[in-house]
Amino acid sequence: MSRYLRTWEFALAVLLVVEILVLGAINPTFYDPENLLYATLDFMHILFAALPLTLVIITAGIDISGVSVMGLASITLGLAWVAGINVFLAAGIALLVGALAGLFNGLLVAKTDVNPLVITLGTLFMFGGLAQGMPALLDFLGFKAYGSAGLAAYQYEGITGLPEAFIALTEGTLGIVPVPLLLVLAFALVLGVLLHRTRFGRYLYLIGDNPEAARYSGVPIVRALIYAYVLSALGAALAGVMLTSYMTSARADLGGDALLPIITAVVLGGADILGGSGTILGTLLAGAMLGYLRQGLLALGVTNDLIQVVVGAILIAAMATKQLAHAWGERRLKRRALAKRERR
Amino acid sequence: MADQSPLLELRDVWKVFSGVPVLKGVAFDLRPGEIQALLGGNGSGKSTLMKIIAGAYRMDAGEMRFMGAPVRVESPGAAQRLGIYMVPQEPHVFPHLSVRENLSLGLDLDPEAFQKKLAAVLGQLDFEVNLEEPAAFLSIAQQQLLEIVRGLLRDARVLIFDEPTSALTFREAEQLFDQMRRLAGQGIGIVFISHRLGEVMEVAHRVSVLRDGVMVLQAPKERLTPHDLVRAMLPGTAEEGEGPLEAGGTCRGGRPVLEVRGLSSEAFREASFDLYPGEVLGIAGLVGSGRTELAEAIVGLDPHARGQVRVAGTPLPHRSPAICQRHGLVYVPEDRHAHGIFLDLPSLHTMTAGILPRLGRFLLASAKERRIGERFVDLLNIKLQGLDQIAGTLSGGNQQKVVLAKALAGEPRVVILDEPTRGIDASARRDVYRLIRRLTAQGLGVILISSELEEVVELADRVLVMYRGRITGELEGDAITLERVTEASFGMALEAAP
Amino acid sequence: MRRWLSSREALVTGLLVLLILITGLINPNVLKFRSLVEVVNASLSLLLITLGEMFVILTRGIDVSVGSTAGLAAVVLGLSLNLGWPLSLAILAALATGLVAGALNAVGITLLRVPPIIMTLGTLGIYRGLMRILTGGSWIENLPQNIKALHLWHFLGVPFFVWGTLLVLALTAYLTWRARPARYFYAVGDNPEGAYFLGLPVRPTQFAAYTLAGLFAALAAVVFTSQIGFVSMNAAEGYELKAIAANVVGGVSLTGGVGTPLGAAVGALFMTAVHSMLIFLGVPGIWDNALAGVILLLVVYLDYHVRRTLEYRRRQARIQGEAAWEAEGGPS
Repeated sequence: MSRYLRTWEFALAVLLVVEILVLGAINPTFYDPENLLYATLDFMHILFAALPLTLVIITAGIDISGVSVMGLASITLGLAWVAGINVFLAAGIALLVGALAGLFNGLLVAKTDVNPLVITLGTLFMFGGLAQGMPALLDFLGFKAYGSAGLAAYQYEGITGLPEAFIALTEGTLGIVPVPLLLVLAFALVLGVLLHRTRFGRYLYLIGDNPEAARYSGVPIVRALIYAYVLSALGAALAGVMLTSYMTSARADLGGDALLPIITAVVLGGADILGGSGTILGTLLAGAMLGYLRQGLLALGVTNDLIQVVVGAILIAAMATKQLAHAWGERRLKRRALAKRERR
Repeated sequence: MADQSPLLELRDVWKVFSGVPVLKGVAFDLRPGEIQALLGGNGSGKSTLMKIIAGAYRMDAGEMRFMGAPVRVESPGAAQRLGIYMVPQEPHVFPHLSVRENLSLGLDLDPEAFQKKLAAVLGQLDFEVNLEEPAAFLSIAQQQLLEIVRGLLRDARVLIFDEPTSALTFREAEQLFDQMRRLAGQGIGIVFISHRLGEVMEVAHRVSVLRDGVMVLQAPKERLTPHDLVRAMLPGTAEEGEGPLEAGGTCRGGRPVLEVRGLSSEAFREASFDLYPGEVLGIAGLVGSGRTELAEAIVGLDPHARGQVRVAGTPLPHRSPAICQRHGLVYVPEDRHAHGIFLDLPSLHTMTAGILPRLGRFLLASAKERRIGERFVDLLNIKLQGLDQIAGTLSGGNQQKVVLAKALAGEPRVVILDEPTRGIDASARRDVYRLIRRLTAQGLGVILISSELEEVVELADRVLVMYRGRITGELEGDAITLERVTEASFGMALEAAP
Repeated sequence: MRRWLSSREALVTGLLVLLILITGLINPNVLKFRSLVEVVNASLSLLLITLGEMFVILTRGIDVSVGSTAGLAAVVLGLSLNLGWPLSLAILAALATGLVAGALNAVGITLLRVPPIIMTLGTLGIYRGLMRILTGGSWIENLPQNIKALHLWHFLGVPFFVWGTLLVLALTAYLTWRARPARYFYAVGDNPEGAYFLGLPVRPTQFAAYTLAGLFAALAAVVFTSQIGFVSMNAAEGYELKAIAANVVGGVSLTGGVGTPLGAAVGALFMTAVHSMLIFLGVPGIWDNALAGVILLLVVYLDYHVRRTLEYRRRQARIQGEAAWEAEGGPS
């Protein structure tokens, strides 16, 4: 399997380059490196969530609650700030809340035999509902939860009026590289080292490939799974914080319908939904591919809806291709073995 | 048994899995009314051949004729429509459906007809079961009987039994053989896969032997002796020229390296014994006697187990595989595919799966890891194309060696081997025996759990026999004979050693 | 009878009754016949989608596109009605849409071997996108009176749709209990490998499951379009997740082979009732999702806990049984 994957990442890299070339040919502004880099701001949240989700999927699990954690983190940040806490500290609290959400997921997944899909389905509802309801609850209790602009404005725009210093987070650059992109790359680097160079990462692959053998081999399954789900939620929380800065408002529905692109990025990146394989690089490349695809299509005037169709079709096509390629490989091996028999 | 034209004919059958040919031009035929036994070592391809006949696999080359006409059997459903049915070795049970439904699924009968037929079949077998209960409540033996009932319920023309007696008592096995004879008398062709020569010589009309994917023998029973059969299956070991492995001299100095006291769980009770460094302690018994469960409880895989375990004097009250590993106690599981090996990952990863904490505090020292891997490839004579070869593409014997490497990587004091030579070819088997000798020479304590009683008799310095969850006897040194061990496995009391 | 009483269906029904009674203590209006009928009425579309999803889950699969399928079917219904098509034809078109959408999933999963979560996640996006493409993004309003009138038909004080859904439910329940092809859903989900080796039609069964899910989603679309009176772009959004939750709560386990249509229906009723009871209690609807999530998590956790306890007790019983049997001398 890893033989295929090494080719897979290379193929992804090639596709990414081809894609940018094609998009640039249609719309030359794409060739401007500054534009290219700025475009990543639009899909950085997908990457923040998808990168650690790779770890979860490698364990043959899944986490669909990320979208809600994004909103929860955003609202937590907003509410904390409205309560008077320094905005960056509030961001830290938001990340902490995200980690706790991941801990909740991880504990349930690791300690019960309930399907992770069901658990994170429940937490998708629970965290999302919590994010939606918290401002109402606090307001009900007498706190000025909705920010200076009041309820009506909140329902339209979320909590606004966040300090410039915070907004600058997503406006700033190091040279021509936007700060969020640097953060994504740094995050990817850390996760990459964790996954491919530490025993924690190895544990994830072992658990995903054969959880029973992992148990028999003494792998600390509970601990490893919990860390994976915490990281996944942390990534989502990070995405939520970044989006809050980018959109200049804190909202509970920040996540939107990002679930499809997030999972597509991981699966397209080569991770097997049944566990045991996947790489950070693959997810990064696939996420970038999808992100730029969306940008390009939008620039072409394609509507958001059609983009959804395209992404959905790509997901299916990628999987089908993988299956067919695998079957074809098997057939080739078989043909070769049978051909040898003539010489017997 | 008539000598009409064959019921079933296979010619030049090839089957390839992932580029590895498992069947190489096999020819096979079955006559109506005959009982044919199919023998072969593990990995010889006999299950694969039968699965092709039963439609579970498709042959990659060759042809099959049923009642004279060429057929292509593309699926089990197609085979069953033709009248071919295979009773599998591992029962296919639908745990949440009732036993009745488990039996009726796949049959094209209305309820009354089914009821009548079922009653008839059940009457002939000694199968006491609550038909309305979910099948999950059946024991392994009952599940196997369920599969046999399924086979008998179908008006098959060809019935294949894959190791049908592995979980049956003597009496149940005899009843099964009576059934087989009755069916053969009706003109049904029966193939049964077995590795028990006694059964084969008793019941079969003809015997075929597969070795390494090639049919090497197909002859009427009268012309064969058990020796012929063994020689056909395993040419190597039958030559005594191989030389017996050095008789194990136990360095039975002083303190036991493993002490088990009063260990009890669901499948066994009050297990107590000692293991000394340098000795091979065999644990013999039938399937279901609780040996594997005992081993799993010793290494902490069973949270419900009660009792005490001490390794080199250190008590281990709260055990887990990781804790046991740290104290030098490792277990090589019986089912390597399910519990031992990581099939889609590089072989090296399986080998080091148990000792990862020793490979570095934060980052994995990959050079060190590879050195450990290479050391074991050498030590165990593992044949692979590089440490990164995906474990699933290795042969059974090499896979088992990889799993052994995993157990040995942590330099244990006690190694519990559970059916270590199951499903591996002869030369790998010899390598494992040599390894066991070497380990004991180095002072390790080895527990050998095996259903191959000959293996136990040959290798063990001492033998514990388990029967229905209890250790019922202990044999030592010269008192270890195949006869005594076999009898004790079946619950017969051991006479005092001479 | 005893087995039914200890079943999940009975438990959830009991919880449902308890929920309504407790709400009734605070707001007696909920106990009126009309209120109860309204709750059932409100649950119909979710119930139908849940039933369809049940087939998929029984076979150990998953389908997260049923909400989008329902939306797409609703769009087709609305568009064809506004084009002047007769009501029956428009409804048929909607049902056909659901059927085809489900069949597409089935093809991808059974023939192309795409894992169900991936395939249906992809079609979730595709169908929802298609919805907007077909309508240009705008809602379908001004539907003719005939479709809207459907939900107003009453019989014995109970809406026609409720009767219809009950009929569908009864039919489904009867067929899954008796009809052999329907038993295949259970067999395939309980042990797909075993089903294959026994010669059961595994792929056709899986194909049927996803196609039925699509069909039932379309049925739900007809119901809610009639009830709501227009088709919005967010129609049935999130219903797939609610349907999965409803199934799990009702005892249809994601591991396959377990659960009944009654369970699925009761699960859907329960999830809807929670929402309705909140309204009767004056709690803002914003807490709906949070509560749904908590309920789902509680149910699955308790289920896990109960299973583990039962397993432990069974083990203890077996150990004691063995010991007693041995004490009596056992077999010789």
